[in-house]
Amino acid sequence: MGDQSELKDREDKLQGMGTSLLRKEDARFIRGQGSYIDDIKLPGMLFGAIVRSPYAHARIKSIDKTKALACPGVAAVLTADDLKPVNLHWMPTLGGDVQAVLADKKVCFQYQEVAMVLATDRFAAYDGAALVEVDYEELPAIVDPKLSMAPGAPIIREDIQDKKEVGHGPRMHPNHIFTWEAGDKAAADAAFKSAPITVREEILNPRVHPCPLETCGCVASFNKATGYLTVYMTSQAPHLVRTVLAMLSGIAESKIRVVGGDIGGGFGNKVPVYPGYVVAIVASIVTGVPVKWIESRIDNISTTGFARDYHCVGELAADKDGRIKGLRFTALADHGAFNSHVSATKLPAGLFSICTGSYAIPNAYARVDAVYTNKAPGGVAYRCSLRVTEAIYLIERMMDVLAQEVGVDKAEIRRRNFVQAEQFPYTTSFGWTLDSGNYHAALDKVLKAVDYEGLRREQAAKRADPNCPTLMGIGISTFTEIVGAGPTKVCDILGVGLFDSCEIRVHPTGGVIARLGTMSQGQGHATTYAQIIATELGLPASDIVVEEGDTDKAPYGAGTWGSRSTPVSGAATAMAARKIKDKAKKIAAHLLEVAEGDLEWEIDRFKVKGNPGQAKTMKEICMVSHTGNLPAGMEQGLNAVSYYDPPNLTFPFGAYVCVVDVDKFTGETKVRRFYALDDCGTRINPMIIEGQIHGGLTEAFAVAMGQQIPFDESGNHLGNSLMDYFLPTAVETPAWETDHTVTPCPHHPLGAKGVAESPHVGGIPCFSNAVIDAFSHLGVRHMDMPHSAYRVWKKLDALGLNKR
Amino acid sequence: MKVQLNRSFPMPVRADVAWALLQDVEGVAACMPGAKITERIDATHYKGTVSVKVGPASLSFRGEIEVKLVDAQVRTLRLFARGTDTTGGSGASMDLTARIDAQDAATCNLVGDSEVSMSGKAAGFGARMMGPVADQVMKRFSANFAARLQAMQPSAPAAQAVEEPAAPEAKPLNALALVWAVIRDWLRALSGKRRAQKPE
Repeated sequence: MGDQSELKDREDKLQGMGTSLLRKEDARFIRGQGSYIDDIKLPGMLFGAIVRSPYAHARIKSIDKTKALACPGVAAVLTADDLKPVNLHWMPTLGGDVQAVLADKKVCFQYQEVAMVLATDRFAAYDGAALVEVDYEELPAIVDPKLSMAPGAPIIREDIQDKKEVGHGPRMHPNHIFTWEAGDKAAADAAFKSAPITVREEILNPRVHPCPLETCGCVASFNKATGYLTVYMTSQAPHLVRTVLAMLSGIAESKIRVVGGDIGGGFGNKVPVYPGYVVAIVASIVTGVPVKWIESRIDNISTTGFARDYHCVGELAADKDGRIKGLRFTALADHGAFNSHVSATKLPAGLFSICTGSYAIPNAYARVDAVYTNKAPGGVAYRCSLRVTEAIYLIERMMDVLAQEVGVDKAEIRRRNFVQAEQFPYTTSFGWTLDSGNYHAALDKVLKAVDYEGLRREQAAKRADPNCPTLMGIGISTFTEIVGAGPTKVCDILGVGLFDSCEIRVHPTGGVIARLGTMSQGQGHATTYAQIIATELGLPASDIVVEEGDTDKAPYGAGTWGSRSTPVSGAATAMAARKIKDKAKKIAAHLLEVAEGDLEWEIDRFKVKGNPGQAKTMKEICMVSHTGNLPAGMEQGLNAVSYYDPPNLTFPFGAYVCVVDVDKFTGETKVRRFYALDDCGTRINPMIIEGQIHGGLTEAFAVAMGQQIPFDESGNHLGNSLMDYFLPTAVETPAWETDHTVTPCPHHPLGAKGVAESPHVGGIPCFSNAVIDAFSHLGVRHMDMPHSAYRVWKKLDALGLNKR
Repeated sequence: MKVQLNRSFPMPVRADVAWALLQDVEGVAACMPGAKITERIDATHYKGTVSVKVGPASLSFRGEIEVKLVDAQVRTLRLFARGTDTTGGSGASMDLTARIDAQDAATCNLVGDSEVSMSGKAAGFGARMMGPVADQVMKRFSANFAARLQAMQPSAPAAQAVEEPAAPEAKPLNALALVWAVIRDWLRALSGKRRAQKPE
């Protein structure tokens, strides 16, 4: 009654967990008042423009700087020779390899950095860059990873050609990087030998690029008087970068400050340390003035962290009912010319071993062979949770292939193989413990919502009608993915564990500031972390300020990628808030002159059990904690910091259904309906979750239906600008329908799992399955992405479906 | 990015006159729109430039030409040209075999087989237009070559032809004009086909 509405009022005032609080950061973004790297102007700042190689593989015979140096405005031209005295012409990568900062004697991919021109404004810098004369001797390029390890193949990495390993085990060939295996090969082989049904398919995950709206860049500023280096950088992991810079430069880590301000999209593209950053930093150290370097769109697509390029073979062995007995997944991974993507030292192929997906598969084996080619370096990026997109694409495609082979409905085959609700926690054949989930319920809910039976009837009718102008396809994706890297015993980068942190300070008048080791690039952290603290501490979210990204102020963390913010830093936030709450309870007990055990918490205050008139609000306690009226021996203040080492990763899951109609004559695919059900455990801000799902699905649509980074046989990029690269607009993008179930994570303080990458991981196979399902009655089992109109048309033409 | 070009152009002079001009690398370069020989290193090695304009942007290729084979018996010349655009963004190379086939006493054909390779920005952006544009370039070249032969014709033993005055100012190759020429020719071809299909 009056009580209930009063309680609801107090709860609403907090705008804590579960409310769709409007994002606090949007006001400045919409007004164009964000602070991005290119907005930064420092006095005396020079601009850097990079001279890049037109050839994919060539020796550098000479570099002539004279014309460039004579260009008005040009202050200096740096080449590898200028970096040698500080031993920075090569740098270690996050993947255990080394990468050329500026090409020394040879270039290994097209657009590789060869020199940087520094000038007083950006146009003079570009003019100067056009005047640097580089004499190249072209070499044959390797573009097809299947040819990288052929006998007699040109050696790409002469700098490490005698090295027996590059961080991840023995190499078999100069162009081989590593081979990683997991699971039990003998058991899997035995399962295949005895199984009545086996399927095998070659499946390509083509090279694509996240193409965030903001390109990469930095402003490096070295103060010669204080010896202090400040770098404003588009980085998803400022603390890791600071540590790496300390290792590289020899400057004490306490004298380095890395600042990630507002970042216009990361998607994994802004995790690696790029040569442009390093040269800008060296240039600033040498000249003593700030140096800005920022990429053009073409630079970004051509040279920074791409995604995928996994050439896979999927095999499943099953009984006659389609119950899977064995799995063998192998991949040839094209890493480009350097192994530079982020890589936990024990997991060079990322979390690919999640490829058993949502299914109980008793015998499994996976193997990834990584090779060098004359292309830009990278591989892990684009909302992939560390190779999880590749793994889930493979298993979800193979489930459809198996269904077609066995002759079973594609939803039914999944039901037969799901991990059952009562089997959780379930340890997969690769050793991951899925802590919680309910796959049957999710799938059933989705199929009911779209009237799956009705759709299959409609499809059958359309297939029977020879005059129907379209092919109808239904795609299903029931994925489990793995995020929240990660427990330090399993995950580290260059030795640094992947824990994360939150530091909270509460002010006397009830305002709060929280600083964390993660780094938002648009995920809404300023809002969601505030909501967590609001619910934990009973203080309104509008009074809670969240800061990230300045390594001078924020506690150490591994940054934001792989959907790890909620699982790790979100947990740290709850833990830190609870430390404060515990202290506040003691103060309340002291003020109310009761024992702690006599108090109970209600929304925003401590009440005495059985005596509701006796209460102290958190707001009152904030002020009291700054006075002398405290229990004996207690220090003033309500502050706490938590460093959280997660006990396990988290496993968000979902069930998606996509309905498409493919035009038989043009190959154009219209997405009639896309229904996405996600389970990310406890939901902090439903509106932000929905935004993340929309974003991930749109990127999934882009990847499945149109994105690719093709090369010709000489290693030339074809399609490295927005003239060709498919970024969907409102015109092409389908309408999304979202739904959810909630299966809380048992090991997370809030029960939350993280969600941002799930829609991308689950969306790509869903679109692909839908398009291929449109052809499956004609015996088609697989078609490689992207399913652009032209590529689909070629299939229609080959099958003779486009003849009237 | 490789393109094969095989073209044959009729020339209004005797085969040996045409052959004389073909062996004159500097004279041949003068017929290529936008090209210029800048240095003669020796009888088989030259340095040169080719300028291409696409609207406001210019590419200036700087490179080397090596004459690999000169066979007077079959009036065949083989040369290899390689260059980079001075802004460093593109590279190009060409392997060309050119020969003169006598037709009759007063005419012959200039036959060219070439493989052109592009890399860098020119390959990424120009790749889709390369074939038709290269065709247009060859048309212009052969027209210039024929005109030069005509000028040589009235007097002259081969020796005099070689002492021709210096090449005219090499104007940059106007790529937009070439693209327009490609489109114009394609439209013409279309209307030509339509005419052919009209019932008599």
